[in-house]
Amino acid sequence: MDFNFNEEQQMVYDSTKKFFEKETSGTLLRELMEDDKGYSPEVWKKMAELGWMGLLFKEEYGGFEGSFLDFALILEGMGKSAMPSPFLSTVILTGLIIQDNGSEELKKEYLPKIAEGECISTLAFLGRKGLYSKSELELEAKQVNGGYRISGAASFVPYAHVADNILCAAKTTDSEGVTLFILDGKAAGIETINLHSISGKGVDCLVNFKDVQATPAQIVGEAGKGWEYIEAQWPKVAVALSCECVGGMDRVMEMTLNHVNERIQFGKPLSALQVVQHMCVDMAMKLETSRHTAHYAAWQVNEGLDCTKEAAIAKSWCGEAFKVVTKIGHQLTGGIGFSEEFDLFLYTRNAKKLELLFGDGSFQRAIVADNIGL
Amino acid sequence: MDFKFTEEQVQFREEVKEFVTTEKEKGIFPFGNNCWMHLSSMEFSKEVAKNGLIGIAWPKEHGGRGMGYVDRVIMLEEMFRAGAPVAYHFMADRQVAPGIIHFGSDFLKKEFLPKIRNAEVCFCLLFSEPDAGSDLANCRTTAVEEGDYYIVNGQKVWTSNGHIADYGWALVKTNLDPAVSRYNAFSEMVIDMKSPGVTVRPLINSAGAHSFNEVYFDNVKVPKEYLVGTKDNGFRQIMTNLDFERAGIERLMQNSLTLDSLKDYVKTNDKGGKPLSQDPLIRDSIAKLEIEFEVGKLFIYYVASLLDKGKIPSYEAAMGKTFCTLYEAKLADVATTLMGLPGLLMPGSPEAPCNGMACEDYLWSPSYTLQGGVVEVLKNIVAQRGLKLGRKKK
Repeated sequence: MDFNFNEEQQMVYDSTKKFFEKETSGTLLRELMEDDKGYSPEVWKKMAELGWMGLLFKEEYGGFEGSFLDFALILEGMGKSAMPSPFLSTVILTGLIIQDNGSEELKKEYLPKIAEGECISTLAFLGRKGLYSKSELELEAKQVNGGYRISGAASFVPYAHVADNILCAAKTTDSEGVTLFILDGKAAGIETINLHSISGKGVDCLVNFKDVQATPAQIVGEAGKGWEYIEAQWPKVAVALSCECVGGMDRVMEMTLNHVNERIQFGKPLSALQVVQHMCVDMAMKLETSRHTAHYAAWQVNEGLDCTKEAAIAKSWCGEAFKVVTKIGHQLTGGIGFSEEFDLFLYTRNAKKLELLFGDGSFQRAIVADNIGL
Repeated sequence: MDFKFTEEQVQFREEVKEFVTTEKEKGIFPFGNNCWMHLSSMEFSKEVAKNGLIGIAWPKEHGGRGMGYVDRVIMLEEMFRAGAPVAYHFMADRQVAPGIIHFGSDFLKKEFLPKIRNAEVCFCLLFSEPDAGSDLANCRTTAVEEGDYYIVNGQKVWTSNGHIADYGWALVKTNLDPAVSRYNAFSEMVIDMKSPGVTVRPLINSAGAHSFNEVYFDNVKVPKEYLVGTKDNGFRQIMTNLDFERAGIERLMQNSLTLDSLKDYVKTNDKGGKPLSQDPLIRDSIAKLEIEFEVGKLFIYYVASLLDKGKIPSYEAAMGKTFCTLYEAKLADVATTLMGLPGLLMPGSPEAPCNGMACEDYLWSPSYTLQGGVVEVLKNIVAQRGLKLGRKKK
C-alpha cells in the first residue's frame, strides 16, 4: 500500500498547482461571479492546451488515455484554486457519456472537439426541483415523422448559456425510460435563462425546450437507456467532486492557519490558544481523512473496480467535511474572514455547492446503506 | 498512489481469517468486544504463537517474521473483526517487544523476546500514576540504585491486566536531582510482578468489570539489567513507543462486533411490519457509522504505511487515534439508541439483543477516548508537531 504520489502524480499535482497560482487571482474570481459567461475563456483555452480536456479520452478520439488518478489531482488543484469552469460538465457529463455509449460517428464528431477545448458542453437532466431522480425529469421527447420533438424544462444545468452542445435527458414516448440526445446548444426552441446561484450569476441555467428537433442519429447509445448511462458515470463524478472538496479544504486550511499565526490578541498569536489549536486540528482531521478517502476512491475508479460504495463514501465524507472546514475557518478568522476582501467566502460558497452537487450526504449514505445489505 | 494489497498480503489475510474462524468455532475461548484489554487467555495466545502470529513485525534476527506494519494491521483487522481474546500477549507484542528491540540490551532481548513470541509471559504497562495522567512527566515512582539493584517505591494506577501480568513495563524516576529537567529524569524498566513488595489491588471500572488495577511498590528490588535503554532517557523512549501504541487498529475495532450486531438487529426486527433496516433515518445513521469506520480504517493503513517507510508517525498516529476513538464512542451510543429500550439490556438479561453487547459497549465507551492519551492531549500533539502551532514567533 502506498499513499504517496509517484513521480508522475507529483508532477501533475505540482504543475496544476502552479498553473492555477498563475492564472487565478482574487480579482478574477470575483469578476467571474458577476460575469455573464461565468468562466474565463482564456483560462479554458490554456487548460485545453495542457491536455486536460482529452486526458480521459481514447487516442483515436484525440485523447491521451491518461490515468483517472491524474485527472483527480487536476480536480484537486481546481478545487484549491476555486476557479469555475465547465470542465466537469463537458468532460465527464458529455465526453465520457459519449465515449462509453455513443456511436462511432458521435464519438468522432464530439470527442476531438472537446479534447481541443473547442466545445463546451453540458448535461440537462434535472427538473426544476433539482432532485436527482428519474421520475422528476421534466423533458419529454415525442416521436414525429421519424424524428423527435423535445419539450419541457431542465434546471440547474451548468453553463447551458455558453454551451456549444447540450446533452439532454428526455422521457421518450416510444420506449420506457430516458433517452439522451446530443443537441446544438443554440438549436431552435432552446431558451436558456441564467440563475443567480450561490456560485454566481453565470453558472447555472434554467433551460426551456419548445419543440426542439432531434434526429435518431442524435441519440447517444440506445434509446431508453439514458438514465443508466448517467448513473454509470456517478462514481466518477462523485470522486471528481470529492477531489475538488479536498483542494478547497487545503486552501481554507492554509488561509486559516496563516491568520491564526499572524493575528495577535491578548499579546500573543491566536494560535497560542489551545482552543484555537484544537479547532485547527479538527480542520486538519477533516482534510487528511478526506484526502485519503478521495484518493482511494479515485484509485478504485482507475483500476476499473466497482466503487459504488467507495465513491459514495468519498462524496458524503468530503462534501460535508469541506463545509465544516469553512465553518471553522469563519469562526477562526472572525470579522476579516467574513469580509468580501478575504478569499474565504469563495470557498464557503463552493463548499455548500459541492456538498449538494450529485447528491448530498444523506443521498450518498443511502447508496452506502444499499451496498452494505441494509 | 497504489492502494492494492500484495498477493502475499491477500493470502496472509486469508490465513489469519482461517485461523481465527477455527479457534472461534472451538467454542472454548472468550471472543468479544474490548478483546485486547479484557479478554485474556494464555491458551488462546499460545495458539496465536504456534501459528507464528506474535512478533510478525519484529526483525527476523530477533525471532520475528520481519513483516511490515501494514501486514500487522491486516492481521489485527481480522482478529478484531472476530473479537479474538488477544489480551494476554497484546501489550507485549505491540509495545514491550518493540521497545526492547529498539532500546534494550542483548540480555533483555534474550530474556524476553522468545518468551513473548511464545506467549509465555503477560506484560502490563506501568505508566499512569494518581498525579500523572495526561501529564506523564509528573510521575513520582522512584528507582534508586543500590548495588546490583534498583529499589522501586511508589504507586501506579489504571494498570490494565495488572492482576494477570507476569511482568510490568514501567516508567520510573531515576534522577532525583530537582535541578534536572523532569524530561531527563526517567528511565524505563521491566519489573517482575511477583517480586516481594509489589501489591496489586483491583479497581472496578464504571462498566462494572475488573480490567484495571492499582499497583504499589514497597522497596521492590529490580535487577539493574532490567533497565531498558539509557538511564534517564526513559521519557523520550516512551514517547517514541507511544507513537507505535497509537497507530493501531485496536483503536478502531475494539467494539466492531457492536456494528455487526446493530446491522443484524435492524434487519431482523421490524416496526409496523417493516424491517427497521428500511427506515430511512436508521439507514442513514448506520451508513454514517459505516462511512466513519471505513474512513478511519483507511487512515490506520496510512499510518502503517508510514511506519513501513521508516517514518515515525508522531502526529499522524495521534490524529488517527483521535478520529478512531471518537468513532468508537459514537458507535456504542448510536447502537443503543437505534435498538431502543432493548438496547438498554445488559449481558445475561432475558430479552437482551445480541446478549446485551451494545449496552455493555456503551458503558465501556468513555474509556475509548481516554486510554493511551486523551483526545485533547492528542490534539495538542497534532497542533504542535503537525501544524506547528503555538510556537514562539521569531
